[in-house]
Amino acid sequence: MQNTQIKTDEEFFIDPQRCIGCRACEMACAECETNGQTSMIHVDYVDRYISTQTSVQVCMHCEDPACARVCPADAITKDEFGIVHTANTARCISCANCVLACPFGVPKKMEETQIMMKCNMCYDRTSAGKRPMCATVCPSGALWFGKREKIAQMRPNSTPVNTFMFGAQTVRTKVNIMMPAGSTALSVD
Amino acid sequence: MLSTLNLRALIVASLATLLLIAAVIIGSRNLQNFDGALIAYLFGSVFAWFGLVYRYTVWLQRPPTRLYWRRGWQFFFSGRMFGHGWALVKHAFTDLGAQSFIRKRGLARWSGHMLMAWGCVIAFAVTFPLTFGWIHFTLASGTIDTYVAHVFGFALFSFPLNSFVAANIFHVLNWSSVMIIVGIGLMMRRRLTDAGQIAIQTFEGDILPLLLLAAIAVTGLGLTWDYEFMQGRAHQFMGITHAIVVILFLLWMPFGKFFHIFQRPAQLGVAIYRREGALGPQAVCRHTKDEFATQLHVDDLKAVTRELGYDFTRADGSSHLDLSPQGKRAALAKAHLAARKESGTYFG
Amino acid sequence: MAKLPVSSEQLIADFGPHKNYPPREGFVGRDEPDEVVKTHCCFCGMQCGIKLLVKNNRVVGFDPWEEFPFNEGRLCPKGVQRYLQNNHPDRLLHPFGRVEGAGFRPLGWDAALDRTVAEIRRIQAEHGPHAFAMLSGVSLTNEKSYLVGKFARLALKTRNLDYNGRLCMVSAGAGNKKAFGLDRASNTYADLAHAEVIMICGTNVSETFPTLTHWIWQARDNGAKLIVVDPRLTPIARTADLHLPIRPGRDSALYGAILHQLVKHDWLDHDFIAQHTSGFAEATAAVKDYDLTWAEQTTGIDAAKIMRAAEMWGRAKTSFLLHARGIEHHSKGVENVVSCINLVLATGRIGKPYCGYGTITGQGNGQGGREHGHKCDQLPGNRDIENPEHRAHIARVWNVPEPEIPHKGLTAYEIIEAIHRGEIRGMISICFNPVVSLPNNNYVREAFEKLEHYTAIDFFLNETARHADIVLPGSLHEEEDGTVTTAEGRVVRIRRAVTPPGEARTDTDILLELARRLGAGDKFEFKTSEEIFTELRYASQGGTADYFGITYEKIEKNMGVFWPCPTLDHPGTPRLWEDRKFATPDGKAHFNPVSYRDPGEITDAEYPVILTTGRVVSQYLSGTQTRRIGKLVDQYPEPLLEIHPTLAARYNIHDREVVRVVTRRGAAEFPAQLVETIRTDTVFIPYHWPGRKSANQLTSGHLDPVSKIPEFKVCAARLEPLGHPEPVGDARTAFASP
Repeated sequence: MQNTQIKTDEEFFIDPQRCIGCRACEMACAECETNGQTSMIHVDYVDRYISTQTSVQVCMHCEDPACARVCPADAITKDEFGIVHTANTARCISCANCVLACPFGVPKKMEETQIMMKCNMCYDRTSAGKRPMCATVCPSGALWFGKREKIAQMRPNSTPVNTFMFGAQTVRTKVNIMMPAGSTALSVD
Repeated sequence: MLSTLNLRALIVASLATLLLIAAVIIGSRNLQNFDGALIAYLFGSVFAWFGLVYRYTVWLQRPPTRLYWRRGWQFFFSGRMFGHGWALVKHAFTDLGAQSFIRKRGLARWSGHMLMAWGCVIAFAVTFPLTFGWIHFTLASGTIDTYVAHVFGFALFSFPLNSFVAANIFHVLNWSSVMIIVGIGLMMRRRLTDAGQIAIQTFEGDILPLLLLAAIAVTGLGLTWDYEFMQGRAHQFMGITHAIVVILFLLWMPFGKFFHIFQRPAQLGVAIYRREGALGPQAVCRHTKDEFATQLHVDDLKAVTRELGYDFTRADGSSHLDLSPQGKRAALAKAHLAARKESGTYFG
Repeated sequence: MAKLPVSSEQLIADFGPHKNYPPREGFVGRDEPDEVVKTHCCFCGMQCGIKLLVKNNRVVGFDPWEEFPFNEGRLCPKGVQRYLQNNHPDRLLHPFGRVEGAGFRPLGWDAALDRTVAEIRRIQAEHGPHAFAMLSGVSLTNEKSYLVGKFARLALKTRNLDYNGRLCMVSAGAGNKKAFGLDRASNTYADLAHAEVIMICGTNVSETFPTLTHWIWQARDNGAKLIVVDPRLTPIARTADLHLPIRPGRDSALYGAILHQLVKHDWLDHDFIAQHTSGFAEATAAVKDYDLTWAEQTTGIDAAKIMRAAEMWGRAKTSFLLHARGIEHHSKGVENVVSCINLVLATGRIGKPYCGYGTITGQGNGQGGREHGHKCDQLPGNRDIENPEHRAHIARVWNVPEPEIPHKGLTAYEIIEAIHRGEIRGMISICFNPVVSLPNNNYVREAFEKLEHYTAIDFFLNETARHADIVLPGSLHEEEDGTVTTAEGRVVRIRRAVTPPGEARTDTDILLELARRLGAGDKFEFKTSEEIFTELRYASQGGTADYFGITYEKIEKNMGVFWPCPTLDHPGTPRLWEDRKFATPDGKAHFNPVSYRDPGEITDAEYPVILTTGRVVSQYLSGTQTRRIGKLVDQYPEPLLEIHPTLAARYNIHDREVVRVVTRRGAAEFPAQLVETIRTDTVFIPYHWPGRKSANQLTSGHLDPVSKIPEFKVCAARLEPLGHPEPVGDARTAFASP
């Protein structure tokens, strides 16, 4: 892997309330070399009947990735930079354990090619020192990639949070979600 | 814990190795049919076998793998064996034989992989029985131009020396070498030109296996070349280099990329698991109100994640895993909205 | 000329729209392009910078252009997919001639041009020069806009030239000229980012100008409060500090009521009003009765919300007001615009840092295209075609006697009416698809059926061009050099990335060749786009839109220059009015009194529901380009009728049930989408689609008396649920015209 240019001081920050549901990220993701015209990011209306709110989800790159732990084929690995990679094509047996176990609903199972695919933080771009495609094109800043100090200065009313509670489970991630200033965690359900 | 696991694998692998050795001895009629020149290959094969069984056993002890393993057999013998058996045959044909899922990933990719896979399978089918002394050839007594093929010491059939059959039998490894080399060419081209592959591939994980296979095929062909066109002048050199790369390959097989050859049949288990799940109740997402998986799978995953140390149980006793992927994403977005709302503004 | 030569289904099969997708692993050569061309998106007025990847004279991909100051790499889905208009199977590669009963057959260039020229000559000889009209569009560069204006006046010699900006922002242009004497957004978005209060009026920024969202969010990070006026809870309105869900067509009532409150609470900048404005007394007199009770009744917005908006706006120290088609597409478009400007002037918040105002221009070159004379009443430099001094200046630049320049002609929709009256017999169009984009478009289509001759220049066979006698294959945005002017007034460079494929030619080549064949070759001796730009600079010199000091080199060096830029050493003017010298004759900004009046059509017992139209994020205007890009189509494949559950319940309409929407002009069927994000008295349909599913079959042809903009945003409709759910499969997207 050409990982010499990864910028370890730059991080991914998401703010779903800034998302305008335009799907530029989805279109741009499909332009990434590593996933060949298949978009890895998820944009959905939360409930169009009542609101125009959209959810936007990239892989959060968990510190202890459930997807990798439940994989029966050891197909998912986390590298030294904390990037949880998409399934190894030789190993993945497309069982969909990861799809169902990921607390963020990220991995996608491709039925035709019998493979799981997921966001790898645009490894082709980040490994070359560029920003991920989705965060580069996002017109609303719902997806943002850069230095922590920079976003602190840009968005004084928010704090990046990378701790999530799903039921009794606490999950820590590499990717941050912007929360009201002073927050320490997001309790999902 | 780890040491127990290793111990179990060690025992299983040791037993399996003893079994193999016994099979070699019995199959070669107390080594009388064993070709002494292949002794190095035999040791390599035995070690590879030990390694494979060891790793396989370790692998099967991982909770998700064990679950599929257990469930797979459970369903196979569930009384619906006939149906599952037939499905197994079909999947074995399309997934393992024709590798149709790779075809859908790309034509060149599939062609390359098919050539390599079948080249290897053919070569394995020939070389291992030869190495183990399970098959050997002799001149039919009283003739100088008829060969007899012996399997486990029993004469199976005979064929004339200058026949079409003979040419193919003696050259089958050459054919498989050619298949492998062409396949490697196709795969290597992709590895060298596809920007996406270049970004994520590793040398030891993706390039080295191709190089190793190529070395085996080329040196193997070299033996024939030497024999046919160089009057055997380079036989020793060719023989030793071929042996070295083959043994390297054998030693590395349980640990590197080639392990996927032995892992891939698990896909058949997954297919049965899915069939069985489809017969039972389906999980319905409380957010999307749609079916998204089999209830069997969701419940099994709850158990597996718990075993792995996760607890997605919610206050009301349900689980976060009861949500579909889309439901989970919506749950996060809603929780985020609620947190923002509580802070007094939707935006911040 | 009469009906279509063959069925529209057959034309769709032959010429599309077909959906274009990239190959699964991307286009070959994307990894190692021959060239990376820094240019701009071909769509909206934001004109985001983008890099196109070129391999073997084909655009094979894009890359974000992160250095360009407006968007820094940010794009919307249309921008990301824009590159797929290149390499498109529907691309016109030859001139075509209409063959009755067979469709369109390829022709040689000479034959095609000869026929066009012969028909122009015949019709003009029989019916006078103005019986041949031209329609143009502002997706064209400044150079091409200028060239079209000159071509129509000097080669075609017709006064009847108008453009699709007529259905875009002419109300804003007219309002700005009334108030400021100049038509440009007064500030760049850098000021927006630091304003204390932002009011966005009738603009679904999140779907129509997604990349502008960044600047609004940035302002909110800096503490700005956001007020959104829109009948729908759009994504930009969802998190706003205040959302005013206005009843369509009542905009000037709201802004009048806010002005009323500003006066009442003395939230006014008396010094500014006294020294730099005129007409304040008349403007306030016009709104003296517009109290909150009246306003609530008229606009349908809670009085408390209106009061809160007035207070937020009134008490702010800095502010920015943006509006777009939502208030402009009305028979009172200009009144709506000046009623907004009145709020800006009353608080004196213009011409200083962090204080601003502007329309968000919709089309790619909506700004530049409306300045350089392909508008029926205008000459380059935003000059008035009826002003003797202005005419004299242009006559000098064009080197013709002043009387040779035709006078003011008809506007776009009036041209359609004139065809029906038989006054206009022939037409040449470029970059305009009125059969989809004009209101009451069955009437528009009938007009095209009546023409004796119609030549269309386009790169795809759009729905209007299907009626053509001759189709000339022109060029895409990435096939010609030029400049465009963004919604901020920033002049930027469009770079040629590839040459036109097949026998297609650049639009410029086609116009120059036609001019030569019409005997005006000596006026059209341009070798490059830059030569046209140079003439444009001289033509605009001294006009309000003065480009004289702008050169290609200067644009490239500075990544854009803001006009006015009168001299070569002038740095350009990002923020207008800092000197408080307005471009009006008296040098002051003008208040304009606005008395509220109802829209052209109001609801009654027969047509009880308000119908409004608009856009979706994945489509652009009449969809000629975006309905051909696979993923954009898939994102929102067919127009849906947005309806509030309360209103739906009244008609027993269920989600996804097909509803026939009937207005005085026609009827069309759309699946219902039940959403609580729209007013209960209003339904919404996006307008990008043609044929049976065209929302503009329903909209009205009421025009603003000043700007002649049609009233797309409000009309009266009746709903008839058909009792069956929307069809599945291809039937959903069968858009064939009748």
